[in-house]
Amino acid sequence: MSHQQADLGKTPGAAPSDARDGLDRRTVIKSGALVGAAAIITSKKSQVLAAGAPWPAPPVLCGTTTPTSPATRPFIDNLPVPPPALPVLLHPFPTRTANIAAGEAARAAHQRWSEFLPLIHYHMTAAPSLHKHHTDLLPSYLWTFNGHYPAPTPLNYYGVPSIVRFRNALPEQQDNPTFGVSEITVHLHNGHTPSESDGFAADFFGPGLFKDNHYPNVYAGVDEFGGIGDPREALHTLWFHDHRAASTAHNNFLGLNGMFLLYDAKDPSHELPTPGSLRLPCYYGITDIPLILADKRFCPAANGRNEVFQVIGNNPVVGDKWIVNGKIQPKMRVRRRKYRFRILATGPVKAWSLSLIRSDGTQAPVTVVAVDGNFLPSPVVISDRPLDVQVAMRYDVIIDFSAFPAGSKVYLRENAAQNVGVAVPDPAPGLPIGNVLMRFDVVNMDFLFPADTPPIPSVLAEMPDPIVPDGVFQWNFTLENGRFLINGQEFDHNRIDHVVLKGSSEEWVLANDVAAGNWNHPVHIHFEEGFIMSRRRRVSQNPDVFEDVPLLPEELGRRDVYPLPPQHRVVMRMRFRDFSGRYLIHCHNMNHEDDFMMVRWDIVDSLEELTRKRREIDERRMLAGLPPQYKHGGLV
Amino acid sequence: MNRRELFTGTAGNAACHAITPRGAQRIPNVVMRTHENRVVRFYDDLIKDRQVLINMMYATCEGYCPVITMRLVEIHEALHARMGRDLFMYSITLKPEQDDPAALKEFARMHGALLPGWTFLTGDAYDIDTLRYELFRHDHIKIDADLDAHAGQMRIINDATNRWLHVAPMASKMTVLQHIAWADPPKSFEQRLEENRRLQERIDQEVELYGYRKVI
Repeated sequence: MSHQQADLGKTPGAAPSDARDGLDRRTVIKSGALVGAAAIITSKKSQVLAAGAPWPAPPVLCGTTTPTSPATRPFIDNLPVPPPALPVLLHPFPTRTANIAAGEAARAAHQRWSEFLPLIHYHMTAAPSLHKHHTDLLPSYLWTFNGHYPAPTPLNYYGVPSIVRFRNALPEQQDNPTFGVSEITVHLHNGHTPSESDGFAADFFGPGLFKDNHYPNVYAGVDEFGGIGDPREALHTLWFHDHRAASTAHNNFLGLNGMFLLYDAKDPSHELPTPGSLRLPCYYGITDIPLILADKRFCPAANGRNEVFQVIGNNPVVGDKWIVNGKIQPKMRVRRRKYRFRILATGPVKAWSLSLIRSDGTQAPVTVVAVDGNFLPSPVVISDRPLDVQVAMRYDVIIDFSAFPAGSKVYLRENAAQNVGVAVPDPAPGLPIGNVLMRFDVVNMDFLFPADTPPIPSVLAEMPDPIVPDGVFQWNFTLENGRFLINGQEFDHNRIDHVVLKGSSEEWVLANDVAAGNWNHPVHIHFEEGFIMSRRRRVSQNPDVFEDVPLLPEELGRRDVYPLPPQHRVVMRMRFRDFSGRYLIHCHNMNHEDDFMMVRWDIVDSLEELTRKRREIDERRMLAGLPPQYKHGGLV
Repeated sequence: MNRRELFTGTAGNAACHAITPRGAQRIPNVVMRTHENRVVRFYDDLIKDRQVLINMMYATCEGYCPVITMRLVEIHEALHARMGRDLFMYSITLKPEQDDPAALKEFARMHGALLPGWTFLTGDAYDIDTLRYELFRHDHIKIDADLDAHAGQMRIINDATNRWLHVAPMASKMTVLQHIAWADPPKSFEQRLEENRRLQERIDQEVELYGYRKVI
């Protein structure tokens, strides 16, 4: 049988015996053990994709003793930019209900499918591949989408719905040499995405299966405003990552994440003077550069590899090398003009504290224009403090390199030092080499390079109408008996902890009552962007006395990750519009998330269902000896 | 042709290999004593190549332990066909100086937990602390020093596939069973497709349970 004819009725693992001899492309495709039979049911195009690189031999891991990463010289590699994802024509064609016969993972039917029929198709295959993090290191075995770490970036437009087929071509679990779990469910953080495409943590699927995530690419507020929603609800910098329950940290550490950009008239994919455009630097990969941050630790060279260090069990992996777009301490040549950098912390745990340092050791200003992909009301210049980026947060910053003379070097500083391993003099006074994340080499403009953009507008975004909440609800993030809990319970994907009505809005209080000096939880709420209304901090140890903490200027916009330090209360408001189903709130410290500091909350369509489900929740809580959550029989 | 041959056979000279369990590097192989007063090695005799559920308790504990033990009896009931064959349960005492094998046996008898495949374990206090850290630690000094902190947790390990999970024993029975299933021995592609098909049927029938809507 040829692979084109092969169907699911045939035994996927049982390739013909001639597959043993030699390893041509077809053999790679056919060997079910390698690709979990995935390729057999893929289109011809994706087979070529999957077979484009020979399958890497599995890693031999370097024990459980935490190694010190090998030495790497700074500023050897150029900063890579993840390639734009190339649209394909999916075969079999995406369908509204799950195409079980072709191997699609079970799911509910796509909501509002005919309204937002996907026009752009992408194919993202999660598979092992080799990645070199530095010229001085040998390649490492990672799990990547389409062979790239970080994954290729889908460049999408509001109003043009797309669909991404996530295919699992990871090794079968019995052949899995890593600490990851080869089952995936991919979340687009933080798309206004229908529930069945939102990458719910327990909706993971194993090797050989695929799942079509439908991204309507609409602004929130479709029902209210018609068309593609309220343009004031735009967010432009998103990222997608594996969300597999209990294994998110490991699977992300292995490389299953990437950026996802959404453009519209205000933030088009170009810098030309078109109506409504803010005219910020916006040529992807040229003047608009993702900076995808991660930390990793490498084993000593063995078997032609420097494998990333992995331990068995649930221990956090703490890196000693800082990675930017997949490289250690890269350099980037920049022209004397404005650039936009989209900074993203991919975790699993590390938070970043970044500042831009001139070669004389002084701090240079950066201008924050967007937080979590949402434009701020007006730009915020940061010149006397570092920029704190916690896991999953995105900061779009503009750096104007025309302020630096040609030939000068500018450094991005991270507050915590990494292990470099080679003796290098401090690149700038008071800046040890270990603290340098990357270097910018400023050169003169040349006529081929796009001319500088106009000054950054003083008003960037109009905020949506203020939210008048229909109800108030509190989420308590606690640590009891060694377990990370939300409202006294661990995540249970079958249990609904809160129900809201589609079209309504609520005020939520996020409370972190662990002792001061303890964990900070970057709380992520799926589905829609919210506003921070206020932030309070408990005064000394008195349980009831709080003081207001003034919001930072960059906290005044919309966002989807709410940093929650110990003893803090964050009051935020959000709306629930257009789609219904189950969604998540969780701490985005992925180790806490994997320890199930996560809850499921549902959006329902009718008042009847809301009342009934709220009553059920309170009945269940009573049985468990917990106080009721709702008053007035579930109506708020 | 068994499954292993199938996989190694079709993989040619490429990546595929039989996975080596790495639990031995992580799980202390300490000497322990069962409630039947049998001497065992924790890793070699109890964990190696097996799927296991581990929790910590002590016989005089009045908070979590009896409730959790009752829940574990329910789990045992639901999975009794596999218990002692390819699924094992271990309850390790947190207070070995109090809990000798006889005390553990009495605790088990009292809770109806003298069941096949379920072993209560005691041993040297130092060894048990080591085990507790390796199995349940948060790398956090305040939590890890607190004994009770580890009484309310359950660790699920499938050593053959290097899979580590945990679940709150007090989650719903359905959830605990699903978590155990997440560590089940690997399934063939056909089994997975069949499961997928059945899951789709359930989603279609029980739209609400899955939180989905029938919106077009």
